Amino acid sequence: MNEVCFKTIDQDNPHTLATYKKNGGYQIWREILAGKWTPEKIIDELKTSGLRGRGGAGFPTGLKWSFMPRNQAGQKFVVCNSDEGEPGTCKDRDILRFNPHAVIEGMAIGGFVMGATVGYNYIRGEFKEPFYRFEAALAQAYELGLLGKNIHGSGMSFDLYSHLGAGAYICGEETALLESIEGKKGQPRFKPPFPANVGLFGKPTTINNTESFASVPSILSHGGQWFADLGVKNSGGVKLFSVTGHVQKPANFEVPMGIPFKDLLKMAGGVRSGRTLKAVIPGGSSTPVLTAEVAMNMTMDYDSIEHAGSMLGAGSVIVMDDSTCMVKALTRLAHFYYDESCGQCTPCREGTGWLYRILKRIIDGNGKAADIDLLLSVQDKIIGNTICALGDAAAMPVESFLRHFRDEFDHYIKHGKSIIEVKNSGENIK
Amino acid sequence: MLEIEIDGAKVSADPGEMLIAVTDRAGIRVPRFCYHKHLSIAANCRMCLVDIEGSPKPKPACSTPIAEGMKIWTHNDKTKISQKAVMEFLLINHPLDCPICDQGGECELQDVAMDYGADISRFTEGKRIVEDKDIGALIQTDMTRCIHCTRCVRFGDEIAGVMEMGATGRGENLKIEPFLAYGIDSELSGNMIDICPVGALTSKPFRYELRSWQMQSVAGVSRHDLVGSNLLSQTYKGKVKRIVARENSDINETWIADRERFSYQGLSHENRLLMPQIKIEGKWQEVTWNVALDFALKGLNNAVLNNKQTDRLGALATNTATLEEFYLLQKILRGVGTQNIDYRLNIKDLDATINLPSNIKLTDLETLDYGLIIGANLRLEQPLINHRLRKAVLSGAMVDVVNVAEFDFNYQPNNHNIIAPNQIALLLAGVLKVVLESTQAEVLPDLQNLNPNATAKQLAARLLRADNAVIVLGEHLLNIPQVAIIAALITQIAQHTDSKTLNTSLSANSKAADLAGFTPGRDGLDANTMLTAQLKAYILLDIYPQYDFYNSPKAIEAFNNADTFIIALNSFKDEVVLEYADILLPIANFYESPGSHVNIEGLVQSFPAAVSAPGEAKPAWKVFKVLADLLQLPGFDYTANQQITSEATMHQNPKLSKVDVSKVDVSIDLTMKKGIDIIWQKSPYAIDVLLRHSPALQMTKIGQINTASMNAATAKKLKLTQTDDYLGVPVVLSETVADDCVFINANRQTWDRGQ
Ligand SMILES: Cc1cc2nc3c(=O)[nH]c(=O)nc-3n(C[C@H](O)[C@H](O)[C@H](O)COP(=O)(O)O)c2cc1C
Ligand code: SF4
Ligand code: FES
Repeated sequence: MNEVCFKTIDQDNPHTLATYKKNGGYQIWREILAGKWTPEKIIDELKTSGLRGRGGAGFPTGLKWSFMPRNQAGQKFVVCNSDEGEPGTCKDRDILRFNPHAVIEGMAIGGFVMGATVGYNYIRGEFKEPFYRFEAALAQAYELGLLGKNIHGSGMSFDLYSHLGAGAYICGEETALLESIEGKKGQPRFKPPFPANVGLFGKPTTINNTESFASVPSILSHGGQWFADLGVKNSGGVKLFSVTGHVQKPANFEVPMGIPFKDLLKMAGGVRSGRTLKAVIPGGSSTPVLTAEVAMNMTMDYDSIEHAGSMLGAGSVIVMDDSTCMVKALTRLAHFYYDESCGQCTPCREGTGWLYRILKRIIDGNGKAADIDLLLSVQDKIIGNTICALGDAAAMPVESFLRHFRDEFDHYIKHGKSIIEVKNSGENIK
Repeated sequence: MLEIEIDGAKVSADPGEMLIAVTDRAGIRVPRFCYHKHLSIAANCRMCLVDIEGSPKPKPACSTPIAEGMKIWTHNDKTKISQKAVMEFLLINHPLDCPICDQGGECELQDVAMDYGADISRFTEGKRIVEDKDIGALIQTDMTRCIHCTRCVRFGDEIAGVMEMGATGRGENLKIEPFLAYGIDSELSGNMIDICPVGALTSKPFRYELRSWQMQSVAGVSRHDLVGSNLLSQTYKGKVKRIVARENSDINETWIADRERFSYQGLSHENRLLMPQIKIEGKWQEVTWNVALDFALKGLNNAVLNNKQTDRLGALATNTATLEEFYLLQKILRGVGTQNIDYRLNIKDLDATINLPSNIKLTDLETLDYGLIIGANLRLEQPLINHRLRKAVLSGAMVDVVNVAEFDFNYQPNNHNIIAPNQIALLLAGVLKVVLESTQAEVLPDLQNLNPNATAKQLAARLLRADNAVIVLGEHLLNIPQVAIIAALITQIAQHTDSKTLNTSLSANSKAADLAGFTPGRDGLDANTMLTAQLKAYILLDIYPQYDFYNSPKAIEAFNNADTFIIALNSFKDEVVLEYADILLPIANFYESPGSHVNIEGLVQSFPAAVSAPGEAKPAWKVFKVLADLLQLPGFDYTANQQITSEATMHQNPKLSKVDVSKVDVSIDLTMKKGIDIIWQKSPYAIDVLLRHSPALQMTKIGQINTASMNAATAKKLKLTQTDDYLGVPVVLSETVADDCVFINANRQTWDRGQ
């Protein structure tokens, strides 16, 4: 546990430069500056490590870095996505709070590999403390001469800036994030072109999640194989899981990929006393919900979760016990996407509001029998038809909630109230 | 070239093309709302989804680049299901107010809904309602109908160059609205009406007038400027009800300026002249055309023909007349034996005029790498020429400006050189000297003692460096004493730097007047000398002297001479004309007569009449034809306007010789006199009588421009303050005006220019 991004978390002053250095921090970056690494070698190690993008889509990081036209002349950028807006996710916040230097070093390494001399870390607007932690770490790195122009006389330069968002979930989508850094309204661009070709300010850009960047220094110092061996096939390494919801001890856990879900649940203290597990959303609110039974038999890695019918996503495990009304839960999620849609493209702008209104009508006791089919039809019309994946994220939970908990919806429509009799008033929460 | 397959048929396409461009070219209909070929791709409406083999979900045709071997199905079930899905989403919040929507019948949403929409809505919640804002006199908003395609937003950003409409808010609350409270002011704003696919943005003057299918569309060409924008006049029961753009990629693409779009309103103004009238013993009488023309003939006979004093007959015309009108009127005058013919009413010294060719095509302006604009506010004076230059700038060209005041540009010029009018010739002489020296050409003796300043050196260097440069000479310097020299200097500079030139100093249909020979021959009097020559008779074509002349009082005085017989052909009633005319003949204005415009490229564009003129008014060319017959002049056996067009375009005007650049004489007086120059411009929506009678345009910010701008030093010399009027125009103090210069942009008549 806590071997990569959370390496320093149990030490005193985990976020400081001294602590980071004591744990071998900036070693790789210094080696790079000394000319001991080539970009190809780094990409190879990353490929071997099996590191997959921790922002949700799980795209192999080594492969992504190899797409960058690194030898193309002109400015290029690396961008870190610390927007962390997905309900259920809170891991990047803690990386920024407790190990900001790993992010800086990871981005600097990325800059070297991709031939980019400027990087931006886009930090979620509400992350005041993490932002100041990161800023302080940046200042220290500059002070030490690890960033800037012609670093240590190596001829290499890397400048890093942080950029505070303004509280829009959509700005976590990589191209909306780029627009936002450019000072424009944060709304996704259509693809192609992809950021690797036309990114920030129209220049080639690589965007990775905070955890992805923060994992890179450890991978390089211990070797890709070491990282791969920590995990399982197709899911190399360790991963931060944010376990939230109806558990005794909600927290972030950095554990090896492939750990059984039930062990992870145990680490979080299990469900609240006197309650039983009802459902799990394993990868953040946009991933399909799973029933307790399925969840208890899966392991926490890409393949197993996919096999179970959902996605590992950003590793945000939302645990629901038997006091949960699934109709209300879905309504709450639908409201989130309805509220956060950028409004740019038709299916998402119109569809998310429609989904929410149907659900709201049901929980207000005005549902109609035909509403179930209508929900399924509307979500199906959103999926795949939008500019970015927010549309899919809004639609997917609807299908899975209805697939697994159809009877609750039927009951609500028929009786005008929830099947869950227990008042969710907080008296059961320990 | 790549080959792809669309609906089973092989089609070839260029690499990098978007699918929709290929399907459009192949004539395959893919529904779309946000796509517009002259705007950037937004891919936000999602209507154009088509099935691409190998892709799990349909992809948007507007933003999917083609790839070799791609197989696309534009009408299969998968495509249809997706398109229907998008259509349903678009309609759930769209009001069902088609019966009262002006867009009805020409609504892209309505059209597609007929193909893809469902009959019954499954959406039972309340529909979204958006509050409307008043965004000005030209565009009516009904934003509840907006489908957020952002065409209008992109138009502002990309074409008009001012992002007047924006998308605020997010999700369902995304609103398309002006960013600023003052609304929409751009000179191209009306194009948003054309491109809005639904009834969110419609023409305010046209509101609730008619259904599009009730109208007939007649192709037309505008005569307000040198472009000759192509348009459609849409008519109903003999009235022009609306003007929309007509595509012509060589001329105006799909855009027209607001001036073109809304001036038609003037056609139905109550001031239209409807009946022929003759003045008998100081009293006006309405008469028939026969009586009127008889009266005209008698008047001419008495005044100049019978006594063989034809050299005391003159003809003057507005610069918006048609090629054919110019041609026939000069033919009559030359037929009876005089060359006192002119349309250049606004020029102080017709002996020293601008002699500068225009030798670049509008489309080629886009590929320039350097432009030097001298004495022009192109954005308001020639909006679509400005648009092409703006495109050049957006793709990397550099533009410098030498002007007497700073104007609002919709792109970023490199340097605004604000130069006193009397110093501009000196600056250009400096440019020429540097150019001659750097090209090892002989430096003219007059320039030997000149020391070019830094600006001159910079401009020369840029002209020399550029591969494709143009020098534009606008209308502002028309009346400064050094204008002929300035034109000669530009000619020389252009020749030695291999630059093109563009002369916009005389606008509207003045190119047609030149082509028709509507200028005094060697023995004729020009517009200024006529006024002092005590002529005995005039034929005046749509002239309103209080607006049109450089020296209005002098013109009015000359016309009011008791012995002078005046035949006034006018489209509008006018107090001043009533005073001096002996006979008033009502004539057609824009869209009421066939004719031709000659644009800055020399392109002759002919158009038919869209409606007939109101009341007894007739097209002027017909009046001239009958008059010529009455005068028994040979060669007027025309039965159709086109016959005149071909004769006019064949006709070689002896005066219209090519400028021989090698012989341009640059004799320049380096000790140019100091003094305050007054640059008098009619404001952009006051340049002709039709515009002055168009109420909506007059209400706009551009329509309201009426200022005499000068800097504090000039004001002090003239003993003026901010609260004064100067020559009847309110004074505005601004340090962006050059020294020794008053820049007037007036939308009122002028009685006295104080010179
Ligand atoms: C609506 C939406 C929100 C997203 N929010 C985040 C986010 O908060 N953080 C993040 O790292 N990725 C987010 N992503 C994924 C990013 O677009 C992108 O895939 C990711 O930053 C790539 O980094 P990785 O390869 O390291 O995972 C979001 C995607 C969508 C569609
Ligand atoms: S107002 Fe018209 S053009 Fe503008 S976004 Fe709405 S529908 Fe599109
Ligand atoms: S036309 Fe393609 S998405 Fe709008």
